[in-house]
Amino acid sequence: MKMRKYTEVAKVYFKSQFAWRADVVFNMIFTISKILFAYLLWRMPFMGKETVAGFTFHGMLSYYIVSSFLSQLEMSAGISGEICQRIRNGTFSKYMIVPVSIEGYFVAMEIGVVLFYLAFDLIAAALWVFVFRIEFTFVTEAPLLFCALCLILLGLFFMVQFSYYLGILTLKYQGIDTFLMIKNNLMALVTGTIVPLTLFPETVVRMMRLLPFYYVTYLPSMLLIGKCREEAVRGIVVMAGWCLVMQIVIWLTYAKYSRKYDGVGI
Amino acid sequence: MKNKIKHLTENPGKKPGRNLNKNFRVLRELVKLRFHNLTVFRLDFFGPFFVDGSLFLIQLLAFQAVYANVESVGSWRSGEMIVYIGTFSLLNAVSMTVCFFGLISIPGKIMSGEMDLYLTKPVSPLFRLTFEKMNPGSVPLMLMSLCIIVYGIKAGGIVIKGENLCAYFFWLAVMSIMYYNMEVLIRSMSFYIISNARLDQLEEACLDLCMKLPGIAFYGIFKVIFYVLLPYGIMATLPVQSLIGEMTWKTAVFGITVAAAFSLLTYFVWTRGMKRYNSASS
Repeated sequence: MKMRKYTEVAKVYFKSQFAWRADVVFNMIFTISKILFAYLLWRMPFMGKETVAGFTFHGMLSYYIVSSFLSQLEMSAGISGEICQRIRNGTFSKYMIVPVSIEGYFVAMEIGVVLFYLAFDLIAAALWVFVFRIEFTFVTEAPLLFCALCLILLGLFFMVQFSYYLGILTLKYQGIDTFLMIKNNLMALVTGTIVPLTLFPETVVRMMRLLPFYYVTYLPSMLLIGKCREEAVRGIVVMAGWCLVMQIVIWLTYAKYSRKYDGVGI
Repeated sequence: MKNKIKHLTENPGKKPGRNLNKNFRVLRELVKLRFHNLTVFRLDFFGPFFVDGSLFLIQLLAFQAVYANVESVGSWRSGEMIVYIGTFSLLNAVSMTVCFFGLISIPGKIMSGEMDLYLTKPVSPLFRLTFEKMNPGSVPLMLMSLCIIVYGIKAGGIVIKGENLCAYFFWLAVMSIMYYNMEVLIRSMSFYIISNARLDQLEEACLDLCMKLPGIAFYGIFKVIFYVLLPYGIMATLPVQSLIGEMTWKTAVFGITVAAAFSLLTYFVWTRGMKRYNSASS
């Protein structure tokens, strides 16, 4: 019964995406900028070299195809903005009065949206593989695929938690818009969507392994192209640990600051 | 309303000295008003600096990682790439300081009919829109960009000759104008279409690509697209090429031609658009 409420929320958001058909098509088309960037940037260095940092040219492009696909799926950034705006204009009460957990509502919303975009993002990825004639490298071993899938799900869940946490910080700090924009810039680097993290010095990579963002896009992408196999299980454990920590932080923060909220008419 | 638009689009230029004086007075008043406004929203003052500053620092870190693994991208080594990122950051900073926040409001003003207010003022609407939301909070971004450029020159051991430095500043000025033209051109399309969202998305995607990728990386059809049709690819590339002595006369003539062509195109699209504008009440 409890799950049914969340399923309904996910269904509503899934269906509502049909209203924004042009957005879907253009989001799909503009994923080309990431692949084009990788193709043009790496074409020249690979002219005189067979491999760079353990990647062949087509291996590198396969990495960008997978990481671009995963970063397109990760659409939680809007949650922080939505919560921030509603707290500031006093309409966050909308979420407080519905008979579901607020965080659960956003998780269900994310599931609905991600399921809708999944097929389109797959089509876009396949299209760019064809257009750029990429010899696509993709792992076929079931255990590795399973580990990558677990990491992707945990990563998406963590990002919803993270965005939700940043959103509820508006209860304490009124304006977090600038911070959210800086966060978005930073995320592109630390999740490895600009360049694979393995290009950074070993010390930096070791530090990044302690952070959850390493496991959101970078590690699943590497696993799916058949690299970093030894990190798969450890990655799942670390990511699950981060999800737990983030959940506790959310509970504590919401309990502490929810009383500061001034709603319309309250 | 149509007569008013005709008057405003045709009259500028008839008495250049008087117009210049009037525009200067208007500019002074706009700067004053903007400072008043910014003192009300103090927290937003340095917001653009932090956001764009972080963006370009991240590009810098990403390219340091790339160059730790490869010696060069095309003919450019790490130093040239740092100068490129600094130059793009500088062009962006100039736009953010002077006109960006005014220009992004154009589509909304056309859709809501708020443009009427600008037509009734005794100054060119584009002049006012350009300067009414100057953002002094982005000035540190210019300083940061200059620091990146100097660092790139030092790190790359680039020898700078006097004439190359003059050429660099000349191309910076030309490309700042082109950057401005592109911003106006894309927003002017709102006179002709209902929603500008896709064009904004296109601009964002092109800027995102070209701030990371110098023009020397483009070839074939990509070169035609990013050098001629959407010339974001030459904006920071030509100044850097002039600084490091890689620019040929052919490239220089090409750059001037593209900049001139886009200035004319912007002028044409804007003036035609103003004539098409129907105002809020019609």
